[in-house]
Amino acid sequence: MPAKPVVKRLPARRGLFAGFKGNVDAITIGLKYLVDPKRFTLIYPNEYIKLDPGYRGFIVLDPKKCIHCSSCARICPAAAMRMIKRMEEDPKTGKPKMKLWPVINYQRCIFCGYCVDVCPTEALYTVPYHDIVYENMAEMDWSLETFVKPPEHPTAKEGIPVKYIVDEEKGLVKVRAEEVEEK
Amino acid sequence: MSVWVYGEQKSELGLEGTITRKLEEDLYEVFIGPQHPGSGHMRIIVRIDGDIIVEADPDMGYVHRTMEKLSEGREWIKNVPLFERMAIHDACNVTVSYVMALERILGIEPPPRAKYLRTLLCEINRIAAHLYGFGIFGVFIGHSTMYMWSFADREVMVELAEKLTGARLTHSYPIPGGARRDMPQDFPQAARKAVRYFRRRLDEYRKIFLDNPVTRKRLEGVGIIPKKIAAELGVVGPVARASGIKYDARLAEPYDAYDEVEFEVPVYEEGDALARAWVKFEEIKQSLRIIEQAVDWLEKHPREAPIHERFWAKAPPLWKKVFEAEGRVKLLPLMANLKLPPGRAMARSETARGEIVYYVESDGKTTPYRVRIVSPSARNAIVFKYIAPGYKVMDLPTIYGSIDYFPPEADR
Repeated sequence: MPAKPVVKRLPARRGLFAGFKGNVDAITIGLKYLVDPKRFTLIYPNEYIKLDPGYRGFIVLDPKKCIHCSSCARICPAAAMRMIKRMEEDPKTGKPKMKLWPVINYQRCIFCGYCVDVCPTEALYTVPYHDIVYENMAEMDWSLETFVKPPEHPTAKEGIPVKYIVDEEKGLVKVRAEEVEEK
Repeated sequence: MSVWVYGEQKSELGLEGTITRKLEEDLYEVFIGPQHPGSGHMRIIVRIDGDIIVEADPDMGYVHRTMEKLSEGREWIKNVPLFERMAIHDACNVTVSYVMALERILGIEPPPRAKYLRTLLCEINRIAAHLYGFGIFGVFIGHSTMYMWSFADREVMVELAEKLTGARLTHSYPIPGGARRDMPQDFPQAARKAVRYFRRRLDEYRKIFLDNPVTRKRLEGVGIIPKKIAAELGVVGPVARASGIKYDARLAEPYDAYDEVEFEVPVYEEGDALARAWVKFEEIKQSLRIIEQAVDWLEKHPREAPIHERFWAKAPPLWKKVFEAEGRVKLLPLMANLKLPPGRAMARSETARGEIVYYVESDGKTTPYRVRIVSPSARNAIVFKYIAPGYKVMDLPTIYGSIDYFPPEADR
């Protein structure tokens, strides 16, 4: 069923008390939220959001699954992922062999998740957190050794995990993560 | 007092190489922006006589990023995250027509499930973008409550988009042939709750903002664009619809699932800032209706990969396993070096600010030969020049906020 245009009219503002009623309405609403405010401020870093598993956070490599195909580096729209050469011992023949490994530069990454989706063996996966601070830019260019294990999440050590859930009455409400998981 | 016309290529002040002219006596030249809070990344050069605007020149281009040229060096699919950066809070609406143009060149049609998923995200984005617009509009005219409210409520829609796509803003959701994820199991419940919340909440918005006598005094009769002038200037989106032009890309050329869902396109005839605010307000209500219908449809129909057969039929078993477990559509490695047959296509979609048009030309390579983008803000910016003169300087933020001009989208 296609859409249809509907011509509407602005609500008329006539009568002696129209302005008065509008003012009273606006002030009443304002007072309502003055008495019963709707707040969901995150007290970061004492609290942090526990994101869903599907969230596109930092990307990590599982070296056991990687087949060195370079698909991730080819699809990366920001040229954050690149392949480096490593001399490694071939388990079958015992001779040294050149292998390609992906490394990521988080100065460039835009977290689009194309690399995770294109990986033919699911060797790349995302961790559901995003708040990691680096002291300098060079640290953000990960080496292969950093790339193979999930990055440390410092806020998770100290903060209380909370979740935001959509509520019919209040829009978003902040609840403890454990309470959501129990349900 | 005569209004100066562009085109005189001479330097009246005797400066070599620059076009200068003498300002008429008793006129002040005020530079609003680009660093002025409330003009965005643009500058409006206003010439005023007392308090009345005599001339207004929108000076755009401060956030020009050569997007059309950049796209020529990138593979087809990599342009989706690039074009998203025109309006990141309206990401799906802005990129869906680029993807549709690619699909036209490829000669494929996405499956109905992908169409509904895209429509769902488009409408979530539309509400979020309208609320963003309302927030900026509110703070422009000194109504900071509206700013706080709409930015807080926008978070509800951002949360929904995050559930659906995994990212708050730059979703990179549509891909040639379909969409990147199916909705998670708990999404329909959250979406219905959000819809019910907004229905109730919008009534409060009306009371505190649109029907508030203080706001009405500032908006009513300001920046009137008569229907004929609106057509001549070629404005699009809520600006055109507030002037009585029954035009909407979803109406003119229904794309995705818009020919199957039921909704109205609100049109007002007054053409002033208040009418433009009301168009956006009514559009939020219609978007809520579409979200409800899309969620219902998606729940009723079986979960199958929302991508065209061409990219799914030959996919390995792992692809199907991941989709069943996580609802994530894995991409075939050929997506990175996708070759489009030579050809050209045009596609348009309705973003929150109006119609966006893509012209895509392929010469058979892995990168585009040419992508031309006509974005809605670039078409609406003309309002500053032809509508602002005659109003007070005080009314300029009202006109700016009501046309919801967004510089990164206009400058590309």
